[in-house]
Amino acid sequence: MTSRSLNSDSTTQGESMTRWPVTVASLRSMAGVAIPLILVAIILPGLLSAFWLRALTSSAIFALAAAGVALLYGRLGLVSLAQVALLGVGAWVALRLSHGTDLPFELVLLGGGIVTGLVGLIVGLPALRMRGLYLALITLMAAGGFQVIVGGTGFPDGGSGFLGRVTSASARLLMERPFVAQSDEAYFRYVLVVVAAGFLLVEIHRRTRPGRAWALIRKSEACALSAGVNVTLYQTWAFTLAGFLAGIAGGLLAGSVGQLDGRNFPASSSILLFALTVVGGVYSWLGPAITGLLYRAFPSLLIAWNIDGNLAFIVFGAALLHALITAPAGIAGQLGDVGRWLSSRIGRRGGTR
Amino acid sequence: MPNLSPFFVTGLAVGAIYALSGVGLVVLYRASGVLNFAYGAIGAVGALLAWQLLQYELPETLAWLAGIGLATLLSLGYGRMVAPHLAYRDTVVKAVATLGFALVLLGFSRWYWSDDPRQFAIPTDTIGVSMLGVRVTVTRMIAFSMTLLITIGVALFLTRTRLGLLMRALANNRDLSALLGIQVLQVETWAWFISGVLAGISGLMLSDLVRLDAIVLTFMVIPAMAAAVVGRLRSLWGTMIGGLLIGVLEAVATPFQVISPYRSVAPFVVAIIVILWLQRRRVITFAGGT
Repeated sequence: MTSRSLNSDSTTQGESMTRWPVTVASLRSMAGVAIPLILVAIILPGLLSAFWLRALTSSAIFALAAAGVALLYGRLGLVSLAQVALLGVGAWVALRLSHGTDLPFELVLLGGGIVTGLVGLIVGLPALRMRGLYLALITLMAAGGFQVIVGGTGFPDGGSGFLGRVTSASARLLMERPFVAQSDEAYFRYVLVVVAAGFLLVEIHRRTRPGRAWALIRKSEACALSAGVNVTLYQTWAFTLAGFLAGIAGGLLAGSVGQLDGRNFPASSSILLFALTVVGGVYSWLGPAITGLLYRAFPSLLIAWNIDGNLAFIVFGAALLHALITAPAGIAGQLGDVGRWLSSRIGRRGGTR
Repeated sequence: MPNLSPFFVTGLAVGAIYALSGVGLVVLYRASGVLNFAYGAIGAVGALLAWQLLQYELPETLAWLAGIGLATLLSLGYGRMVAPHLAYRDTVVKAVATLGFALVLLGFSRWYWSDDPRQFAIPTDTIGVSMLGVRVTVTRMIAFSMTLLITIGVALFLTRTRLGLLMRALANNRDLSALLGIQVLQVETWAWFISGVLAGISGLMLSDLVRLDAIVLTFMVIPAMAAAVVGRLRSLWGTMIGGLLIGVLEAVATPFQVISPYRSVAPFVVAIIVILWLQRRRVITFAGGT
């Protein structure tokens, strides 16, 4: 398989793959992402109530975690049902580092990301031998195990010892936010910047050597091996990257809330996040962004409208079935179709496509 | 060393129902290739309907039958209306799709029945027999013996009847079976039917033995899957042993203070060890698949 046929094949999925990371077209598409994002970061916090600011902050955080799920499912077809558990690992490490050391927030975040990347690597190691159903099961079991363990130990809240737990509730400490982002508005902007950097990291991977390797592995491992692609390396790399993103997201979540409850990271959340990632779309950065909004902002919307939040599950479940059966590129793909249809309409007025 | 026998008995009963659920999962997976994540949710909706009918003071037998009936209908409905659209997709995609169904059912039952605490009891709870110095309720004995009988029944059904033969043929190779003129959809429908009945029974038993709560029952599918994994998603006896083992491990850890909060980790640990063990000699194959 040549790289040309690979290119033409993947563009049919609505994605562009170039040999070089930066071309005029990719610069233009990046600007198309960056400019609205900057506008959102500047204007939005002033317009929102505290309730919505919190909802959007955690939407952005979960969008980053969803980017990891989308990477694994969209690039390699691997189903990981442990992403929220990994996010919990990142949050745990970040809280522990923050309470135990004087490191600045950025290093704490990075530490959480790296440790979680390693944990993601360990969870993903079996993936080298098994794929498909058994991988989904083993990640689900890992998520279930994490739920039980963290439910027992809880998250560090300023105490001493390895677990970092305090004995009396009054002595609990909140995690320090970065000094540039103490207020909720500033923290929202801070989160947006970090999430954008995370998306950019994924995008760079997608457009360079790892992205091409993943695409070839996805097509056929035999092809990839015979083309000299180190299948093992690139698969573990994908798992580590997904874990890293989840870890960073976990640190951001810990900084946003200040302290976390061990019971808030059940296996069911990981399942829901995976489902919503498929619904949002796994082939572009827009998909995880939509996923984040569905995961955290949509339930807030239902609360604001006084609608029973459980109805969200019905919508999500139906949307997952719909996405799997008829819309493999998710909502992002459908929006992309609408966009292309509109631009072709505007481009050649009155003409056919 | 505390006296473990009461915990052992409790664990055996709950483990038996994990095993029963596991058998339902395996029967369906073998025939249709669908690992049904919605299995627990189907049982939960059935159990909640039975509870609702008991609140209307209907006779108990009728309420139980209605619960099992609804579970069967839900299973059949998904099997006939949704599953065929995904027949030629990867196993993992089929499994993920049932997550969607599980979310729909979970959302519906939490919305319709809200999450107030409620109780579901079978009259045999109060009748007890003393055995080996432990009081064993008849419900627990029913749970255990029913699982044994049903597993034997299903095993005989698969090996001795024509429909069982067809199901095994489908499990071996769907395309070849279809070429031979086997009515694939019809055989699959039977598998969804059997699995639905078992889901209904497991749902009722678990709401008595554990708790009647939509979320708890929905995620009871995880230990059931762990049991099925012990049986490599194929063997009924392996599944049964797995279920019992998980149930017992979980319960026997209760009296030990240090590990007690972590005892529900048992199904995950068992499943992970078994998966890793089963795959220990696999190298990367070009065939991929599961």
